[in-house]
Amino acid sequence: METSRDDFVIALRSAFLKKGAQQRFSLLSLIFFSIIFLILGSLNFKTTNYVKIAIEEIVYRSSFVVSIPENLLKDNYLVVQNYLNLYKVNEKNIAKLKEFKSKNISKRIIEYENIRLKQLIDDYFVVGNEIFAKVLIDKKSPFLRSIIINKGSKNNIKLGMAVLDDIYFIGKVVEVNYTTSRVLLISDINSKIPVSLEPNNIQAIMSGNGNEKGVIEYISETNLKNKNEKLIVFTSGMAGLYKSGIPIGKIDKFFFSSDTGIMVDFYKDLSQLKYVKILSFKKEFLNSTIKVEGNVSKADIENLKNSKNENINFLKKQKEISGEIRKKLEDQNSLLNKQLIKLKKENKKLNSLVKKTNIISSQDLDQQKNIKFLELNLLYGNKCSKNNFKNILKKRYKIGTPEYKACVLNKGKY
Amino acid sequence: MSSSTKNIKLFLYKNFPVIFLFVVALNETDFNYLNLKYFSFNFSYILIFYYSVKRSQSLGYIYIFIAGLFNDVVVGTPLGLSSLIYLILCGAAAYLRNITLRPSLIKDGIFFLITILITNSLLFIALNFIFDYELQLFDQIINITFTFLLYFLFSIIFNFCENYLMSNNNVR
Repeated sequence: METSRDDFVIALRSAFLKKGAQQRFSLLSLIFFSIIFLILGSLNFKTTNYVKIAIEEIVYRSSFVVSIPENLLKDNYLVVQNYLNLYKVNEKNIAKLKEFKSKNISKRIIEYENIRLKQLIDDYFVVGNEIFAKVLIDKKSPFLRSIIINKGSKNNIKLGMAVLDDIYFIGKVVEVNYTTSRVLLISDINSKIPVSLEPNNIQAIMSGNGNEKGVIEYISETNLKNKNEKLIVFTSGMAGLYKSGIPIGKIDKFFFSSDTGIMVDFYKDLSQLKYVKILSFKKEFLNSTIKVEGNVSKADIENLKNSKNENINFLKKQKEISGEIRKKLEDQNSLLNKQLIKLKKENKKLNSLVKKTNIISSQDLDQQKNIKFLELNLLYGNKCSKNNFKNILKKRYKIGTPEYKACVLNKGKY
Repeated sequence: MSSSTKNIKLFLYKNFPVIFLFVVALNETDFNYLNLKYFSFNFSYILIFYYSVKRSQSLGYIYIFIAGLFNDVVVGTPLGLSSLIYLILCGAAAYLRNITLRPSLIKDGIFFLITILITNSLLFIALNFIFDYELQLFDQIINITFTFLLYFLFSIIFNFCENYLMSNNNVR
């Protein structure tokens, strides 16, 4: 028992401490050295960082050179595969082209409408600073999904910049060296992108699954009205890092799974990246002029300019028409003013007439009352006057008093 | 055989493992572009373990250490982690070499499996719990399985290459 333990210790000591004929360091010292490297690296020690940057600069360049044979092999493999699928792909492409052509028209209309509506609500457009880069290393490690590009701080690349392939979002810059940078792809488990799912406008976070798919996180099943509905995944622009509305992928009915969550099928094959576009976004407020996004093609810019000119012409015509209308309205207004003055004068005349007639009518009434009184006075005056001796004991009134008048009008009744 | 061919063979025989190690570290030859869902392996583990067991003098520890640093930079893991894993692998291989009297491919393979299980566990713990990287255990298991299975295949290939380079040339 004692001997076997001794053997184990001797073998272990020999393995870790013994130096070979051409070895300068023992295994144990190198292990310690790598642990020190790890600790200093995690503590962000300045010297280690400089060493790291220097190694990275050397390794990225040399890795690109070393990768040439493998890349050749890979490219040939893909070329053969493409040739095998050529006929099927062609048929599919023709069908898709027809579909896209029709969709493109409606898309452009929606784009212009969107620009106008954003202008209307004083929303901002995000202008991008475009940098094109070549993919130096695309390792596709089973654990980490990242690529190395040939642009670094020298070319104004900054941490967190969005990386696009064509118009599709593929990742963000996570490490910047002087002439190279590392891009963390959206398929990596560690990438967390705020996204929105359309239609329904569901907000969520998307991370990679380590393979060629994305996973939607922090979303409840109740958000999904129809589970079989196909959804499109865009950047939501929530964190303010990226512009909203950059397409990422789609969610098919097929990828809904209770085990893996909601799987996103990316629009771009992240294993086939050759050239990428790095964009930084800044907010710009629009008041009257339309500003065009940085990633729009020349044709789109021309179209937009044409539409702008059309808009100006349209507005000019509208101005002319409104001028004419204004002139007509002014004429009408002056006419109406004159009529109004006339009517006011007539009104005054009529008012004076009405007053006169009122006076006359009131005089007529008085006259009629007087005539009636005189008639009744002839009949019943003796019953009401004090002058009559017969009525001396009865209650009588003096002639001409209002009581006498009332008595006469009441036909001699008191 | 001409002397130049002999010299090339001699050079290749002596330096082939180191050259190959650096190519693998810089390039990470793993056939991931085949897009096979459940397929990944670590070729550098196989290379280091095989040559540390069979011909320890062909791979210097310092070269392995540097290759590990290069691999860290290429893959994006913290600097020094791959070096540590490679050196532990070397240590295990050196221990196996010390205790082995009669070499056997099966025994080497089983010892290799135990070693990569330990090293990958270390890697997983270090990345997941210390450096906050998210790794999938299932991917690791697939990687370990294929690395183990392919060890036998590559052992035979390496053995064949060694025999070829040694043939008609007493380079040992």
